Amino acid sequence: MGKLLVLTVLITIIGIATWCALPMLLPESPPQLDANEWWGPMDTKGKVDASIKPFQVKFTEEIIKDLKNRLQNKRQLVPPLEGIGFEYGFNSKEIEPWAKYWSEEYKFGDREKFFNKFPQYKTNIQGLNIHFIRVKPQVQPGVTVVPLLLMHGWPGSVREFYEAIPLLTKPVSGYDFAFEVIVPSLPGYGFSDATVRPGLGSAQIGVIFKNLMNRLGHKKFYIQGGDWGAIIASQMATMFQNDILGMHSNMLIVQTGCSTLKTIAGAFFPSLIVESHLADRMYPLWKYFSYLMEEFGYMHLQATKPDTVGVALSDSPTGLLSYILEKFSTWTRFEHRTLVNGGLTFRFSKDQLIDNLMVYWASNSITTSMRLYAENMSNKNRALGIDKFSTSVPTWALQAKNELFYQPPNILRHKYSNLLGVTVLDDGGHFIAFEMPKVFADDVFKAVKLFRDFHKTKTEL
Amino acid sequence: MGRLILAVLVALASVLIYFLYLRSPPPLPEIDLEEWWGTELSKSKQDDSIKPFKVDFNEVMIKDLKDRLRDRHPLAPPLKGVAFEYGFNSKQLEGWLKYWAEEYSFKERENFFNNYPHFKTDIQGLSIHFIRVTPEVPPSVEVIPLLLLHGWPGSVREFYEAIPYLTSASRDRDFALELIIPSLPGYGFSSGAKRPGLGADKMAVVFRNLMHRLGFKKYYIQGGDWGALITSCMATFFPDEVLGYHSNMPFIMSPKVTLISLIGALYPPLVVGSNVQDRMYPMLEKYANLMEETGYMHIQSTKPDTIGVALSDSPTGLAAYILEKFSTWTQISNRKAPDGALTKQFSRDQLLDNLMVYWSSNSITTSMRLYAETFNKRYLGLGLEEIPTNVPAWFIQAKNELTYTPIWALKTKYPNLINETILDDGGHFLAFQLPEIFSNDVIKAIQSFRAWHKNNKKTEL
Repeated sequence: MGKLLVLTVLITIIGIATWCALPMLLPESPPQLDANEWWGPMDTKGKVDASIKPFQVKFTEEIIKDLKNRLQNKRQLVPPLEGIGFEYGFNSKEIEPWAKYWSEEYKFGDREKFFNKFPQYKTNIQGLNIHFIRVKPQVQPGVTVVPLLLMHGWPGSVREFYEAIPLLTKPVSGYDFAFEVIVPSLPGYGFSDATVRPGLGSAQIGVIFKNLMNRLGHKKFYIQGGDWGAIIASQMATMFQNDILGMHSNMLIVQTGCSTLKTIAGAFFPSLIVESHLADRMYPLWKYFSYLMEEFGYMHLQATKPDTVGVALSDSPTGLLSYILEKFSTWTRFEHRTLVNGGLTFRFSKDQLIDNLMVYWASNSITTSMRLYAENMSNKNRALGIDKFSTSVPTWALQAKNELFYQPPNILRHKYSNLLGVTVLDDGGHFIAFEMPKVFADDVFKAVKLFRDFHKTKTEL
Repeated sequence: MGRLILAVLVALASVLIYFLYLRSPPPLPEIDLEEWWGTELSKSKQDDSIKPFKVDFNEVMIKDLKDRLRDRHPLAPPLKGVAFEYGFNSKQLEGWLKYWAEEYSFKERENFFNNYPHFKTDIQGLSIHFIRVTPEVPPSVEVIPLLLLHGWPGSVREFYEAIPYLTSASRDRDFALELIIPSLPGYGFSSGAKRPGLGADKMAVVFRNLMHRLGFKKYYIQGGDWGALITSCMATFFPDEVLGYHSNMPFIMSPKVTLISLIGALYPPLVVGSNVQDRMYPMLEKYANLMEETGYMHIQSTKPDTIGVALSDSPTGLAAYILEKFSTWTQISNRKAPDGALTKQFSRDQLLDNLMVYWSSNSITTSMRLYAETFNKRYLGLGLEEIPTNVPAWFIQAKNELTYTPIWALKTKYPNLINETILDDGGHFLAFQLPEIFSNDVIKAIQSFRAWHKNNKKTEL
């Protein structure tokens, strides 16, 4: 009986290994998306220009007055159940202090100036006015300027990168390059237009951002992303392997049948898949699924009914605050669920978190931001199957201790064949650029140096 | 090869099912008839009196509501060519909001609510609201009690059109129904629990105690949605008290039933009648529909307090969130209807009446907590679906209800299943949508229950 079991397991493993090796042996090319697909109103097609116009974030008097009214006239909230923290979601006792701060202490004028400390612009790509920050470094001769596209996610924004940008756009000793950073708002997020028609998923955003980089004079460039930014980066690296010089991701994931099988196999033999001190980031599987069930209700709802929940979140700033800040609590540290204040100011200041909220509120973009989940879940976009194709773009993963997903290098290499390495952090959560900007910036420098060396070696051969 | 694997899987499943049938049901959980849901302080203040209650839409609340509706923040327009596929269509919502703010006759509707006598009484630290309608009949007609339980996002309002039918007298029968229609704890005019734990099983105890408070030691019960689950618990916990159980949403999710239903996907006639086969299969299609429609359930089971903030603060948001269900759950194809087909089955006043129950009582958050209190390890670990009850049962299954459960599955829990009415019409809110058909079915059921009891008494002698 025991021998039979061992034999079955061995055959299964060999079968899985063969199946997983197949894509490497029979490479196909990923789908090519239409680089000119029009996402704006049809009557604007052919009528917009390629100019790049300067842009300033504005918190108008009208917005501020209306916002304060709503915050101060919020309806009475039901108190939380006895003895709980954030286990049922945002503890309503914490709403009052945040609403009070937002309406009475948050300095709209100062914060608006803060937002505008970096030069920003808008330009029309495929029918959408895309907002972006662009910071060029001041460098001495001998230091190369390399273009880096930084992409945020949900419920984040360009604000997440503000502390990292000065660190990335300054020469650092030991490196012969510095970054020109381009930091756009995703379409439908913040100050970028939203599309008027269905179909704009992460891959299509990748096309828009490639066109953006081209518009700015960069045919080849580096990319960095977290959350949706990581997904878009991964798909750009798959679709444009000749143009992406390297990808740095703080949420690198592989989602193929093979990686899933390997993950399940690893539940029985973790040492084959993951180093023992990191095994608890993936296993036991039941714990991981329980965590997914607990935390992904928002994703399930947004992937199916974004417009429904968007109504309330567009209308109520306290509602928006609760919905968004809950993520900055749990996704920074899962243990913050037990705290009455959600541990929100553990690593973030009130101003930082409300700045991010202001991007959503001032631009009224919460509904359009959530539609991205539905677009990616659509049959059409899933059928593209971009995630199944591997990429040879040199890749580096920054893996924070409290990130939502963890996959070890041997699984990641199924897709990212030139995964040059990973930085495993003993600290940090999902919003790593926001939470630990120096660690983040250092890691990006480290990775891009390796990417540049990788390319040097290739050209020398 | 594929057929071989399938055959092996079916064989394995059959073995599993065999063992599941042999397994004895889990024990009945311990039932604490005095479990306290209020604060510690309130324990000393409890009294058993039954006080009359009147629904009151006061001027302050009405003015605040109108202000919020009229001053709503602009909503993102729907995507081109989309009806309700992304959730509630924001263009369609405008008509509803205008009606609510400008045409809905608050005074008239308040009077409508008070057409029937309302009461409140304290049960286990909760202030329980209920409607009690006693029929006017000659002494020769026996008056028997029927408890009617609503669900989410419904309310006692769902039963208003059915009440006249249910309480009518007729020469064909020797009984008339006295109706007890409570608001679930945390819904409408019943208070919510102050401490965690008040799941569907605990509500069953509260309502059993309510019936006893009103002098009924034996009674009939009827429920849909949460009402169906709570009444199912009552039939399981108090089989000597519940004289008969009628439900318009039977649902059994035991391992046995799930496995057999899965196998049924291979050859449905094994498992379900051909006239209703398309209500269960094709399985993938039904499963996809369920996934698309249960985002709300997922978020409410995990973070009710988070989403509750926005829905408590914005009547616009509450309208979209709740009315979406009256569209899709009445008929799933309504997702493609430009107006969600909302006024096809219900009048505007009917749907806004129901909204007013949630808004005027500010109970949306506490209502959603029921999901978190029930869909958790504690409740699911009780295995209540696997504990059969001898209470005679009768089910009506509407054409467009979200799930369909075949008789053999129902019999695993209700061995004294007397009848299944298959309705060629109607959706989830059956009493609300088809009050006459609903009422006739309930009355027929009770007639059969009474006959069943007479017969069983005879055989005992």
